[in-house]
Amino acid sequence: METLEYFLPQVWFAILALFLFLYVMLDGFDLGVGILSLTSSDEERRGLLMTSLSNIWDANETWLVLMGGGLFGAFPLAYGTILNALYIPIITMVFGFIFRAVAFEFRELATRKFFWNIAFGAGSFVAALSQGFALGSVLKGIQVDESGHFIGSTWDWFSWQSVLVALTLIQGYVLIGSTYLVWKTEGELQETHYKTAKIAAWTTLIGAILITITTPIFYVSARSRLFQQPLVYVFAIIPLLGVWLIWQLLQSLNRKEERAPFGWTILLFVLTFIGLALVVFPYIIPTKITIYEAAADPSSLVIMIIFIGFLIPVMLFYNLYQYVVFRGKVTGGSYGE
Amino acid sequence: MELLSNTVALSRMQFALTAIFHMLWPVLTTGMGIYLVIVEGLWLKTRNADYYYHARFWSKFYVLNFGIGVATGIPMEFQFGTNWAPFSEAVGNFFGSVIGFEASWAFMLEAAFLGIMLFGWERVNPIVHLLSTILVAVGANLSTLWILTANSWMQTPAGGEMVDGKFIVHDYFQAILNPFMVNSVLHMFFATLETSLFVIGGISAWYILKNRQSAFFSKSLKIVLAAAIAVAPLQIYIGHLSGEQVYHYQPSKLAAMEAQWQTTPAGQPADWSLIALPNDKAERNDWEITVPNALGYILEFKKNLSEPVRGLSEWKPEDRPHLVGLIYYAFRTMIAIGFFFAGLMLLSTVQWLRGKLSPENISQQRWLMLGWIFAAPLGYIAVESGWIVRCVGRQPWTLYNQIRTVDAASHLPASNVLVSLISFATVYTMLFIAALYFGSRIIRRGPNLELPLPELEITKPAVDTKPGRFVPDERPVEAEQ
Repeated sequence: METLEYFLPQVWFAILALFLFLYVMLDGFDLGVGILSLTSSDEERRGLLMTSLSNIWDANETWLVLMGGGLFGAFPLAYGTILNALYIPIITMVFGFIFRAVAFEFRELATRKFFWNIAFGAGSFVAALSQGFALGSVLKGIQVDESGHFIGSTWDWFSWQSVLVALTLIQGYVLIGSTYLVWKTEGELQETHYKTAKIAAWTTLIGAILITITTPIFYVSARSRLFQQPLVYVFAIIPLLGVWLIWQLLQSLNRKEERAPFGWTILLFVLTFIGLALVVFPYIIPTKITIYEAAADPSSLVIMIIFIGFLIPVMLFYNLYQYVVFRGKVTGGSYGE
Repeated sequence: MELLSNTVALSRMQFALTAIFHMLWPVLTTGMGIYLVIVEGLWLKTRNADYYYHARFWSKFYVLNFGIGVATGIPMEFQFGTNWAPFSEAVGNFFGSVIGFEASWAFMLEAAFLGIMLFGWERVNPIVHLLSTILVAVGANLSTLWILTANSWMQTPAGGEMVDGKFIVHDYFQAILNPFMVNSVLHMFFATLETSLFVIGGISAWYILKNRQSAFFSKSLKIVLAAAIAVAPLQIYIGHLSGEQVYHYQPSKLAAMEAQWQTTPAGQPADWSLIALPNDKAERNDWEITVPNALGYILEFKKNLSEPVRGLSEWKPEDRPHLVGLIYYAFRTMIAIGFFFAGLMLLSTVQWLRGKLSPENISQQRWLMLGWIFAAPLGYIAVESGWIVRCVGRQPWTLYNQIRTVDAASHLPASNVLVSLISFATVYTMLFIAALYFGSRIIRRGPNLELPLPELEITKPAVDTKPGRFVPDERPVEAEQ
């Protein structure tokens, strides 16, 4: 029983990390394309951008719903406390999602598309921005009492650190969105996104460097963790690997490769994620509440493994199948009859 | 105003508002998914192009509703954490898991196969396409299953107990199969199906009345009617069973539904109030028309009750539902619509049997078609009314008899909730208007009967080559080119 109480929360931490990673990667390019649509020069290009997402945006967003449901069931205390603390960013994100989701359908049906173009682009931007603030403020620390309930104030999530994380996350999304478009489009549109990918690679790098430098300086709690004996080498390797990956990415963009840039970007996301997980684990509300304290009853965690865990390979399979069905370059600016 | 600084009241209003709006969209997609499976199946079976065009035409409504359904559904999930954090923490063990099941079993399935269903006509073979449509429908209906399981459990929490303010589950299957679960799932399943059927029927009737492609739309109307023959009476029966359950498990809700203020003891007949003016403060009905002895027949099919019908005055005011008038009339509205649907179905069936619904005659059925058009929005009203009875009637409890709504709400500055509430109200109103506008545009444009048919050679030749069915070309030789 003792081992179960350690083992099960760890399993669920790993499962939720997987869901979150899949979300950030998949809806990341999705939101990135949305943000990039704000720069589209004409309706035809914007149509192509939206067509490249039409069949997948919803499944991509579902990973977040799944992450939310999983967190609610596996770590109810964390679910309540984090969402309570992040009231404004979460509600703002939800409004971003609302506008961009309905834009897909309404833009297609509308004769005057301007409003829905803005709804799509700005909705994507607002959703990404709110996620950045949420991530930034969770990393910075949420104020809780001894039983783990939120006791901070409404605007705690807003700080220069969370602004930095938010801006970097947006750059990351624009980067993965650009490399996705490089993969899925051709001609002039592809040329444009080779450029945006390059710019985003540089801005992401700058953001990442700033975060890497400021974290040990300004986050007292993270400092002890980062300089812990064996882990310190891992934390030293991660930024170096990151720089190497960005260099590889820039090289492949210069060589006008079509799929490799997307691949390098994904690896970059994987690396960042491993770094984040190592900084956070075993906390679910960093440095306040561990996964063991926030975990649901072991019996719940087991039931959830039975009901959700075994579906993960199935979900991965049919999501992948979707991408196979719609493989190839995007053509035509209409995404529905 | 006091209300504007009351976080609990504002959070309740926000949840009610978002739930009432959200409900409108999945109600249609869940039922329509099954309809799309039927028409696509007919298309593959008969190779009649009309069914293909039906599948394409109605899926436009599907995707319009689906997009808004997703957009308005995500706030529902997050609100449990943002506005109801103490509740989330207390019931996460069970309720949170079920929300997770919904996402993984239902939502992901529907989302992933929707792409193939909408855009995959030319990319996958017809059997895979049909399978995708089936999986979309299965996904949507599994959502009903899990969400209704979660909500039923809030009505009749089973399978465990509260320990130190947290619900500990002893038996998951008992919790999932809580007393309300089976009938609630069925009642909602039939509600989505019935709503969709009458929406499809109403739109079809509009085209028939306008004499636009009447033959084409008489097909959809007949499919709808054939399904309604089974669904409409069954729904009334399931509804009755649900009412009986409320009588046994939630007596204070039943008292509010029937505006019964005084207890009728067991062994006595009870009057049923048909129309009344309930007065919360005076704890009586200011005015009412009653049917003598009828409540006993409604609840137990006999004159004298074997269990008492407890009146609202039996509970202290803080322990019973408020807004009795709202619950009472919402309940009656739902029932009236259920019977109207059954009546319309019966009348249409009679006309069908008399041959009045044939493509040549159907346009003359003016009143019947008007009846169907009138019925189109009623399903929504019935569903919303039913949910008002279910959730307003559950008050003052969030988890029935375990967690009070006041203890379930997050401590938030009222101003935050007020701003989000106003934003939701504004944005959702806008979405509602936009959806009506774009929906009516789809209707005005009508089906596109010029769409090329998908390649069918993949499974079998489009032209039936079986011998003995050759029809000689009787046109003059010049026309044969």
